Amino acid sequence: MKNQDASAESGAGKEEAGSLVIPAELKDTVTLTTIDKAVEFLSQTVLNTAVNWARSNSVWPLTFGTSCCAIEMMCVGMSAFDISRFGSEVFRATPRQADLIITAGTITRKMASALITLYEQLPEPKYVIAMGACTVTGGMFNDSYSVVQGVDRIIPVDVYLPGCPPRPEALLDALLKLQQKIRSESLTARRQRLYRQSPIRYVDYDSGRPVEDLVSDVHQEMNEIAEAVKFKADRS
Amino acid sequence: MTESDQAEKSSAGTAAPGQFGQLLSDNGIESNRLPDSCGVETIEVDRQQLENAVQRLRKSPEAVLDLLLAVSGVDSPESYDSVYHLWSTSKSGELVIKVRVAKSEVAPGELPEVPSLARIWSAANWHERESYDLVGIRYSGHPYLRRILNPWNWVGHPLRRDYKQPVDALNDKNPVSFR
Ligand code: SF4
Repeated sequence: MKNQDASAESGAGKEEAGSLVIPAELKDTVTLTTIDKAVEFLSQTVLNTAVNWARSNSVWPLTFGTSCCAIEMMCVGMSAFDISRFGSEVFRATPRQADLIITAGTITRKMASALITLYEQLPEPKYVIAMGACTVTGGMFNDSYSVVQGVDRIIPVDVYLPGCPPRPEALLDALLKLQQKIRSESLTARRQRLYRQSPIRYVDYDSGRPVEDLVSDVHQEMNEIAEAVKFKADRS
Repeated sequence: MTESDQAEKSSAGTAAPGQFGQLLSDNGIESNRLPDSCGVETIEVDRQQLENAVQRLRKSPEAVLDLLLAVSGVDSPESYDSVYHLWSTSKSGELVIKVRVAKSEVAPGELPEVPSLARIWSAANWHERESYDLVGIRYSGHPYLRRILNPWNWVGHPLRRDYKQPVDALNDKNPVSFR
């Protein structure tokens, strides 16, 4: 207990230095905000670089191959191309231990729900490489009744890797691009935009707008009405 | 031979029945010879007589067509066809049987019915499910006639001529899609 108090005090001290106002009655408690703020302060300085360096060099992909592109993905794991040079040789058989989905292959409508489930089961931070023309735009299955026309319609994609199939070197390049991305981001910033990482974006068919936007519109409208009513009540 | 008979024969292409057509007509089963498909004898059989005919072709010692290679469905302009490829493992004979259901016979909203061969060849089970799934031919007497490739809640039969793709967020069909 003593230790906790001490750390709380030091944490609070630091926050005051960082111009965070803490009410007097909370001075001797550790709240989640103070820890967050401390982590944020640290991450802005040293932590981010070190953590990102470690994270970017151990991106573990999920074993996920739905058609021909998967052959190239396997090839990249073998000794000729050797993805372990970049720390990604650990293909995991469960999404709960993986950081990355390489969507290697055509995603059909029947597979779409399974892919969404897999994406949701990945622990945050999670990344997606859309590998192959099929998953970038639908590719040669353009206008097909059964193929999802681009995997970014169901899950957010970090790196697009066109080609049919892409060469193993191209997949390595995509991985390096992803590593650059991981090194340049901050975990706290990522957490703040977490809501946007939700896998499926529902679309209103009449207006073609994302349902998220429509809902926020309605909220805004309700707020305006509430304010107008309050204004009236105040005046009367 | 009446005129209408002649007209039918000429429209059917080759007049003389082939080896298996002859065998069937010897056993009192009507069949109609169609143009050969890649050198393989092709006959059209009425759907009421299909089970009878394949049983006969399978059992009779001259034919022994004992292997069902494939069942496929075709949406022709005038009819729905169910096509069977038979093969003999001992006599190297081959036969294509077509069962045609004219589109005019099929009431709107209903599926064409063809008897199932799943009791005779268990291989027909999945093939018929596929052809039901994609072309929409209902195989009566099938033990488990359910979609096999598409999700179970799929609407329509995608390889039909009149099939309309769904308009949703997974394709570009929506004219006002935000993407
Ligand atoms: S992009 Fe080409 S190689 Fe890759 S899954 Fe599609 S068809 Fe196969």
